[in-house]
Amino acid sequence: MASGNRQNFDSTEDLRLAGMRLQVIYYLAIGIFGILITRLWFLQVMNSAVFADRAEANRIRILPIPARRGTIFDRKGNVLVTSKSSYNIVLSRRDVRPNEFPQMAALLAENLDIDPKWLANRFDAAKYEAQYESIVVKELASPADVSWVEAHQYEYPMIRAEEAPQRVYRYGQMAAHAIGYVGEVSPEELKRPNGQFSKEEGYRLGDIIGKFGIERTYNDILMGKDGERRVLVDSRGRIQREIEVIPPIPGRDFYSTLDLDIQKAAEEQADTMPAGRGAIAVMDPNNGEILAMVSRPSFDPNIFSQRAKTPEGKEEIRELYEDPDKPLYNRVIQGAFPPGSTWKLMTAVAALNEGTITPEKSRVQDGDLQVGNYLMHSMSHLGQPPIHDAIVHSCDGYFYRLGIKLGVEKFEKWVSAFHFGQRTGIDLPHELAGIAPTRQTKQKEYGWQIKKVEKQLEEATDKTFRGQLEFRIKQLQHEAEWTDYDMAASAFGQGRNASTPVQLLRYVGALANGGHLHTPHLLFKAVPGVDRKGVEHGEIRYEDKNAFDVPMSDEIHKIVVDGMYGVVNEGGGTGGGARVEGFDVCGKTGTAQVASRDKAGSKTKDHAWFIGFAPRDKPEICSVILTENAGFGGTHSAPRTKAIYEDYYRRTRGLPDLAEGTKSEGAKTGEAKKIGNATTGNAEKVKATQ
Amino acid sequence: MFNVNRRYIADFDWALFALALGVAAFGVLEISSVEPSPGLWRKQLVGLGIGLVLMFVTTLYDYRRVVNASPYLYGIGIVLLALVLTPLGKTVNGNRSWLYFGSFGFQPSEMAKIFTLLFLSYYLAGVKKRPLDLQTIVIAAGIWAVPTALVFLENDTGSALSFTSFFAATLFLAGVRWSWVAAALGALVIGLVVSAPMIKNCKSYKCERIKAVYWPDLAEKRFRYQNDQAEIAVGSGAIIGKGPGGSTQGTLGFVPEVHNDFIFAVASEEWGFVGSSISLTIYLLIIARLIQIARRSRERVGLLLVAGLAALLLYHVTVNVGMVVRLLPIMGIPLPLMSHGSTSVVATCFGLGLAISVRLRRYVN
Repeated sequence: MASGNRQNFDSTEDLRLAGMRLQVIYYLAIGIFGILITRLWFLQVMNSAVFADRAEANRIRILPIPARRGTIFDRKGNVLVTSKSSYNIVLSRRDVRPNEFPQMAALLAENLDIDPKWLANRFDAAKYEAQYESIVVKELASPADVSWVEAHQYEYPMIRAEEAPQRVYRYGQMAAHAIGYVGEVSPEELKRPNGQFSKEEGYRLGDIIGKFGIERTYNDILMGKDGERRVLVDSRGRIQREIEVIPPIPGRDFYSTLDLDIQKAAEEQADTMPAGRGAIAVMDPNNGEILAMVSRPSFDPNIFSQRAKTPEGKEEIRELYEDPDKPLYNRVIQGAFPPGSTWKLMTAVAALNEGTITPEKSRVQDGDLQVGNYLMHSMSHLGQPPIHDAIVHSCDGYFYRLGIKLGVEKFEKWVSAFHFGQRTGIDLPHELAGIAPTRQTKQKEYGWQIKKVEKQLEEATDKTFRGQLEFRIKQLQHEAEWTDYDMAASAFGQGRNASTPVQLLRYVGALANGGHLHTPHLLFKAVPGVDRKGVEHGEIRYEDKNAFDVPMSDEIHKIVVDGMYGVVNEGGGTGGGARVEGFDVCGKTGTAQVASRDKAGSKTKDHAWFIGFAPRDKPEICSVILTENAGFGGTHSAPRTKAIYEDYYRRTRGLPDLAEGTKSEGAKTGEAKKIGNATTGNAEKVKATQ
Repeated sequence: MFNVNRRYIADFDWALFALALGVAAFGVLEISSVEPSPGLWRKQLVGLGIGLVLMFVTTLYDYRRVVNASPYLYGIGIVLLALVLTPLGKTVNGNRSWLYFGSFGFQPSEMAKIFTLLFLSYYLAGVKKRPLDLQTIVIAAGIWAVPTALVFLENDTGSALSFTSFFAATLFLAGVRWSWVAAALGALVIGLVVSAPMIKNCKSYKCERIKAVYWPDLAEKRFRYQNDQAEIAVGSGAIIGKGPGGSTQGTLGFVPEVHNDFIFAVASEEWGFVGSSISLTIYLLIIARLIQIARRSRERVGLLLVAGLAALLLYHVTVNVGMVVRLLPIMGIPLPLMSHGSTSVVATCFGLGLAISVRLRRYVN
């Protein structure tokens, strides 16, 4: 630097030096602009796609147009389940800045009559569910709420009324277990690989799916696909214009095999069950179509579809889950009990087929039987009755001995021929397989006991104790062997034997039709239409892929049917309570013994079974009734069968109704609520018919 | 003093004029494209018209006469800035920088910048010393400090800092020792390094705005919003842009102050990298032209004045575009000639008029 110029200021030199320094500023400017243009290159050329997406996401909102879920009808076209339109008030989360929430909460609480405390919790919870674009602030909004929201659309564009169809179960508790209910898909279901409702199948959080019953099994038919409205919004979420509308694909209508009239009759009968627990199922024996299905106690599916998110609804659902009587169980497919004497027909079919007895020579000793240390009691002592009488009078002693004569190998062959201990494959979720009385079952039961002792033995050091344990194992191994006692008990439906009502229903259907086991089912038909994935379908009918036959000659079939006819129609038959004049009802009673230490409670009484069909020669309907903790099958389940059959008979034959005064109330007005109220009237009728 | 004759027309800096008119026209186009309120572009045209008239009138006068009047202009500027702090001042967007006379409002700080620059040039040109002594620097700093402090009090940080741009440039050109320049730069770097952790922990809105750019994860979400939206606007413009009127980030209101401080975001969105880089190049050409005029000036005062203008313009473009592309924190300062705002346009035109006047008189002494 020119330090010599301090005293004599040379203005030319000054300008020259300043000019040099100007050059520094010039390069500085070029450098800065270089940085700015590089940054623009980075944003606009290298990363433009990212920002283009974000700009699109900014201005486009996707508003759902819910798809109507298919209506469920009975076989004759009576509406069982439908959907009604209702509105939720939602807050579009993207259009509310975090610091505006308190202000928004106050506004909503004041104008839409929402509990501010509840709303605060809702907002808190919403923080952790980033998946949802909008926060539901009020469900089942009133028309006044909706019009307030619409009137303030410009001021508060973030508040919207969104359509949310509600499932309406028209008959409430009626056939609730068969129909099922809907609810929001759970995150666990979405994650389950290859699950029915997994993400791979196109389900998303917030989807309303079938959770139980027909609603679940046939969700693909019933559920449609939501449409979308794509709209352009400004920075406050105000809709500027519509870009595109993708119309929803409605779900397809579903005709179930249920028959509303028979269902109502069955419901009436179930209402009078003494313990309030039991199951009734009615089927067409010619094809496996379920005509009625009742499980008691029942529940109102509307709780799940309409009130699942309200505090009151949550409480109701909690009570349903905690109820010791398990109202959410479908006892028809999930209740497994010893089939009792209804099983004797199976033993008879097996013995006749195997030649243990023949139609001509079928006499076997009846009465008590001493097996080893046990004395097995028999209610009947008929000497040496033929098979017909043994069925009619349900002779225990006859079947103890017949079972032992038949032998376990042949017996097991027939148990598996009827597919006992296996699911029927009914089109409902959560079916139980039951337990078949076989050697394998017994071995398995002892097997884990033996394993327990073996484990003790591994850890034991004391020699005496080890000796004891070794002895215990030998003892158990010996006990695990199949004995005559096991055989006798199994032959008449006790022992290690648990069947579900639907298994017995299929079984009685086969006894009625001569050995054809149709798969019980609830799909009658689904109307043609497009499914969720856009695939066209014609009318869908049930295809019975799992039907099978058991060999049953006409001669043997006749013996069984005659026996069952005798049970109901002969003097001394155990099922006389089921007799319907002119309808030729056939059936078999059964009593499942309940082992309980609680001698005082109502749960100590035996379960009453009745399986039946009618008419004898060309069967139209068959049924199973289980009345839990009631007593004898003949006393409790046979009269209920009669009431249902009589109703069916009179209706199909065009005969006048018998007990107009007491009966028509529930049957004709068709109000589910009234069925419950009509209990007393029905109780009287049951007594009258006994 | 000076007549419009053949020589005036031949010597008039038509290149600078054309470049300035080009960006100004682009600005009007973009304002009409986003149009937050109808007819805003017409108001801008009126402001531009006034500015151009003032620019021509200024070129007719010898800039030295304007410089000689600078103590008075400076005084007027200070008074106006002080008036803003009285109840006459109005607060717009958090900045108390407006004066209203009836419905006519203007921002004194925009004019005060030019007046301060004039006065600084006047003072420094009168000091016949090189390198500058401490006394001169202190007095110059005083001239700089008064308006800067007032604008700071108006809460307009961006404008307050803009005074520093030409203060630093004029001092540097007037002959501050290199060692002092190095010391000042060193102090600046140390200051930035030391303040970084303090800013990270600080919660004031100014700190949040800084964090939103350099430590976005530490910033509150609402302070990131403007940066995000501006960045999206610029980025989504891609190479050739969405075309005139094609802006969604601007027209639908995602980018704030879209006609004003963020006009460059919309211009980039609609015209893409092509448009944004061309307009930046024009600004660079304007600055380069001013630097050339400064170098050719035969007088210290002309050189300081025009170089100061170049520095002021460089500062404005850098800070404004830097904030739009998320390199610098958001400070409310306009993009000269493009942003909507009559005061800014008129002040910039006045400054350019002075520069052209200096060029016209480069041969006469």
